[in-house]
Amino acid sequence: MAEAVHPSSQPASGIVPDLLAFIARPDEGENSFNALALRLFAHQFQHNTAFQKFCQQRGRTPRTVKSWRDIPAVPINGFKDLTLSCVPPEACERVFMTSGTTRGDVKGRHYHPQLQVYDLSMTLNFRQRFMAGRERMRFGVLFPSEQLMPNSSLAHYLALALHKFGTPESRYYLDTEGLQVDALCATLAQVQASGEPFALLGASYSFVHLMDALQARGLTFRLPAGSRLLDTGGFKGQSREMDMDAFYDALASTFGVPRSACINMYGMTELSTQFYDAGNAVLPAVKSGPHWIRTRVLDPLTRQESPKGERGILAHTDLGNFNSVTTILTEDVGVAVAGGFLLLGRAQGAQAKGCSLAVDEFLRAAQS
Amino acid sequence: MKITAGYLPGLKSSEVQWHTLGFGAGAQQVDVLVPQLTPAQLHTLAAHVRNQGRTQLKSMPVTQIIAAIDRAIERLLNPADPYRLELALLLPRISGFDAEMVRLGLNAYLKTFRAPQLQRFVAEDFSNPKLLDEFQPRAKGGMARALGPELLVHVWAGNVPGLPLWSLVCGLLVKAPAIGKVASAEPLFASLFARLLAEVEPRLAEVLAIVWFKGGDTASERALFAEADTVLAYGGNDTLTALRQQVPVSTRFLPHGHKLSVGLVSAAALDVAHAPATARAAALDVVRYEQQGCYSPHTYYVARGGRVTPREFAQQLAGELAALQHKFARRTLTLEESASMAGWRQGQEMQGFTGAGVELLGDAGAAWCVAYAEQASALLPCALNRTVQVQAVDRLEDTLPLLAAQREVLQTVGLAAAPQELHALAERLGAAGATRLCAIGQMTAPEAGWHHDGRFSLLDLVRMVELEQSAEDAAEQFAPYRD
Repeated sequence: MAEAVHPSSQPASGIVPDLLAFIARPDEGENSFNALALRLFAHQFQHNTAFQKFCQQRGRTPRTVKSWRDIPAVPINGFKDLTLSCVPPEACERVFMTSGTTRGDVKGRHYHPQLQVYDLSMTLNFRQRFMAGRERMRFGVLFPSEQLMPNSSLAHYLALALHKFGTPESRYYLDTEGLQVDALCATLAQVQASGEPFALLGASYSFVHLMDALQARGLTFRLPAGSRLLDTGGFKGQSREMDMDAFYDALASTFGVPRSACINMYGMTELSTQFYDAGNAVLPAVKSGPHWIRTRVLDPLTRQESPKGERGILAHTDLGNFNSVTTILTEDVGVAVAGGFLLLGRAQGAQAKGCSLAVDEFLRAAQS
Repeated sequence: MKITAGYLPGLKSSEVQWHTLGFGAGAQQVDVLVPQLTPAQLHTLAAHVRNQGRTQLKSMPVTQIIAAIDRAIERLLNPADPYRLELALLLPRISGFDAEMVRLGLNAYLKTFRAPQLQRFVAEDFSNPKLLDEFQPRAKGGMARALGPELLVHVWAGNVPGLPLWSLVCGLLVKAPAIGKVASAEPLFASLFARLLAEVEPRLAEVLAIVWFKGGDTASERALFAEADTVLAYGGNDTLTALRQQVPVSTRFLPHGHKLSVGLVSAAALDVAHAPATARAAALDVVRYEQQGCYSPHTYYVARGGRVTPREFAQQLAGELAALQHKFARRTLTLEESASMAGWRQGQEMQGFTGAGVELLGDAGAAWCVAYAEQASALLPCALNRTVQVQAVDRLEDTLPLLAAQREVLQTVGLAAAPQELHALAERLGAAGATRLCAIGQMTAPEAGWHHDGRFSLLDLVRMVELEQSAEDAAEQFAPYRD
């Protein structure tokens, strides 16, 4: 699709190989991260008009930005309201769109001229954080395929996982007909008997649906040692809301996989890199990412870093975002801890404490 | 420090379960104990208050009730009174509002509940206030009398200090024994008022009760509402919808939803002499109670054509907000409130990109923010906590369709306009849905006896009993002195 290279994407040609090399090399520390972040910032400032305006309004230009910390963080709503791309959107191989859980009608769009960077970022990180030393495992995926959901970054992520790390028997257990409970039960029974480690991956809400279905049949499993589960994304109103402790207890008791082997992935459509924890034996689990992404905890208004141990809003600088913007301001509340950060949920809209109408209530009413 | 809220005539506090609500931190921390009754205890309490109401309150003439409330208010207006001292100490800690702002706001508010104001309040709804005491002759013939509820339940929301006093007094004026459910955000004021009232008038000692339960506790809501013949509730539409489901169908439900208010500044007010004073008054309306009130402004529409342009007015307003920060510091925002304010700022900025020309006055670290736009857009709530929109219009009439689009939630319109404009606008603002028009600078201080959200505060609570002429005529036939 992106055969014809647009002239304005030319400067990226120098950056992308360097970026791929940076990702592939082991961590080289702050200076080298900073240098590449500044190069990407200069590139995005020059070629992304909307981002340039955004930076200028904050008095930030390549001249004044001396550290990756100075790069203005674009609120994720910017992916809804602005076109954040250095190349024309039509020249992009893939557009990932948000599911639109917050502002139902408007979807955020993340433009990827090519997926080489995304794929390298995902595979290196996934191998290290999920595969636990194995080259391949038998996978079951509780999410629709990439063909069914071409604009879902999660569908692409799971397709990559299946393709790059799954054994040949690995497959999807969710299609247009819904969850294939019978087929999955047969597989689970089979791997339980064979002793082959198995990995089940999918949206957190799909696990809830699956566990409800298994409970209705009175079924539980004891998957072989080395089996792992990966859930992501929370419940998003797609299933009943579960307390996270109860969720991981239920996963452990339904599949016989210890909570320490239940990994939660924290990813966003607006990023090209994911975060993982090292199991959910204790909540909240510490999340961290690879050396090409850095996370800060900010005061939402002043954008100053919150003191260690204090809650704030998460901002991520992802060098994998070479075409959109490296630095995004999320709506997620977190706290910085040794070895990463704790994810404490979304910053729920503030309720008015008096009788004045608050924005969030107003918007909810407008949507319903 | 630890204090106890709630007021439970007829129940022993040792029999009741107490829940702790924590406010503030460090030396400023206050733990407030609130009573959490079982459905059976709510039933017992309701029966007690209803009975006491029948024997004590229903027989009191309205003038004596007014006198009792007046005595209580007089105490609260006395800065040395122990009740007032307690409010002065605790309300700022509980609500987070600036202490001086609370003091001034409370004084202005309490003054609207003195005896003459209360008499006017009753006269506003009852041309003959004696209708509340006994049958009164009607001009058309026959007689009539107004009876308040046997048991009125209040469900309060929010932390605006003193808010519960409004409906509490309405209930007392129509002789309704009442149970009030305080909000978790401010459980103190109503509790203290009930205790003070008992002190100044023993007959009113057991006709009010103050309880607490968590919002959404449907078992308690159902138990309490089943006892009431009228339920008066404040809150957002979600809350009110949920509450309504717990109210028996035969029970009167009076919901007060969240509202939106705006200010209009005419070109006539925008000369060099008057604009600064208007900007200052407008800033005060924004600062008072951090826009948490239904009467607080979200947007000022400013007309072009004056010597001072709308943009200059926005700058003056920003200057006044900056100055007021020194006098009344904004309370510390929670992370959620900061995020909400940041989201609002971002939204305004994004509009700036897409060409609507929004300009933010006040940097991200400031404790206030003015979003100025050269063009008026759909009326939307601001992020509260001293965030306000200023939008230029050619003529104030241009705002009417924008306001009318929000008629469901529109309440107060603050006005700075010349007399002729004022009266012409009043008619059309009323048609657009506004229920209260006042001067800019007075938006957060409604007059005594105002018709809250355009309703009859007292008439809505009573039922009329009519003794028709036919009964009187028929009675004559059975009189011992009949011919």
